[in-house]
Amino acid sequence: MSTASVLSSRGVVKKFGGFTALTGIDFDLGPNERVGLIGPNGSGKSTFVNCLTGALACDAGTIDFGGTDITDMAAWRRARLGLARSFQIPRPFRGLTVRRNIEVPLAFAAGLSDQAQIEAEAEDVLARVGLAAKSRKGPRSLSQVELRKLELGRALAARPKVLIADEAMAGLSDSEVDEILVLLMQLNDSGIAIVLIEHIMRAVVRFSQRVIVLVAGAKIAEGTPMDVLSHPEVVRAYLGQ
Amino acid sequence: MVNWDLLSNALVSGVLLGGFYCAVAVGITIAFGMLDIVNIAHPAFIMMGAFIAYFFNTSYGVDPLLACIVAAPFAYFGGRLMYRLYYLAFERHGEESLQGLAFFFGLLFIIEVGLLLIFGVDYRFVEARYIGPSIQLGFVSIPWRLLLPTIVGLAMVGAVALFNAKTFTGRAILAVSQDPGALRLVGGNPVHIKEVAFGISIATAIVAGALLIIIQPVEPSIGRDFIGRVFAICVLGGMTSLPGTVIAAMLLGIAETLTTTYLGPSWSPAISFGILLLTLGVRPAGILGR
Repeated sequence: MSTASVLSSRGVVKKFGGFTALTGIDFDLGPNERVGLIGPNGSGKSTFVNCLTGALACDAGTIDFGGTDITDMAAWRRARLGLARSFQIPRPFRGLTVRRNIEVPLAFAAGLSDQAQIEAEAEDVLARVGLAAKSRKGPRSLSQVELRKLELGRALAARPKVLIADEAMAGLSDSEVDEILVLLMQLNDSGIAIVLIEHIMRAVVRFSQRVIVLVAGAKIAEGTPMDVLSHPEVVRAYLGQ
Repeated sequence: MVNWDLLSNALVSGVLLGGFYCAVAVGITIAFGMLDIVNIAHPAFIMMGAFIAYFFNTSYGVDPLLACIVAAPFAYFGGRLMYRLYYLAFERHGEESLQGLAFFFGLLFIIEVGLLLIFGVDYRFVEARYIGPSIQLGFVSIPWRLLLPTIVGLAMVGAVALFNAKTFTGRAILAVSQDPGALRLVGGNPVHIKEVAFGISIATAIVAGALLIIIQPVEPSIGRDFIGRVFAICVLGGMTSLPGTVIAAMLLGIAETLTTTYLGPSWSPAISFGILLLTLGVRPAGILGR
């Protein structure tokens, strides 16, 4: 395993019955790095992320986070170590206000216990993601882009070292995509390594320092965005023969 | 010709019965509505509470309600232990739906038989200063033995609602009821949160037991009469909603009392479940469900 990696995997395999969703994925993410993870629908991106974050147990292989083997670690423990993710479809706690949604990871993942400090930090996180004005509203009153920001805010409140943003821009307009990109860049500037899973290629190209391509559960290409997008196998996977 | 005397008394009795139903159903709203645990043994824990109150009242002269309030913390830890067992045996393996149901069904009978062996089949009652007297307001009579359970029942729902709103554990209970997967990924341990919540649920059942034996004499098997009612109140209220539980409990309490007064007690369950089906037909998520 690479010693420079903050998050890495070796030979990760995931099977669903007779179907092999991941065929042995090797992956490295450096500190403060921005990596794009792309691939056609069904290529195994979300399955891989679920294995990394502990939502799914992998059938073979190892996952290392900052020098700790987290392969068999519960998802909530990984979150407390600093591995956060946002969801493809926003999953706010709908019975809690926007600020209370942010307070949950501050209390659990970040381990804060002082009410005043938690409330102050929650307001700070909301200001960073541009939701300060919505603090006391319920998630139902938020627009799509605001829900994505809440997802990112909730992940940010966990004080992550690594953030996995799973299709954080899907279904958004061009200007909204730019808003999320700016926000992700700001988070990266604050020292958080980010894995961006995305279908919007202009976002992937603008954001990523390195791109990894998964097809049918296997890694077929890795490199700079321009190199990867002109890779013959990637072109074939996206455009067909 | 409406007999206002009869109607007023029936309505007041209905509200008081609804208050007691709040105490009985709040634990099921937590366990079934919020945690998705089909604890059909809940009424058996209510009976356990009733017999704890009976034992300390008849043996040591302790006030029945006080006995159960003191017993509630022990019930809380017992409930936590029980959830841990349920989790390790069933929920962890995804086998909670049928086998978990069988687990709680078994528990229901074990508790019931245990109480039968210890206390027998005779009806038991408690003695307390407030059980006999009533408050007379015009032609409406309010017995203390019904008023006290109403006050305690509403206070219990209020306390749980306050706990959920004001504490991090309470908010985590709301979060786990909505999306345990998302809670896990923001560092919360759903198993721990559910364990705490289930402990609270069992503690409320024990206190509700004291209220039951204050209202009426009990014998171990009458707990089964409450299985349908507590689940009906939870579903009618909207599963996770505590205000919904209060409204549903009051609705059922009033409906049952009016039915008993004007049509006879045998119609009471039919009317109650008729209201449940009618409400769900119009509003499938329940009164305050989302």
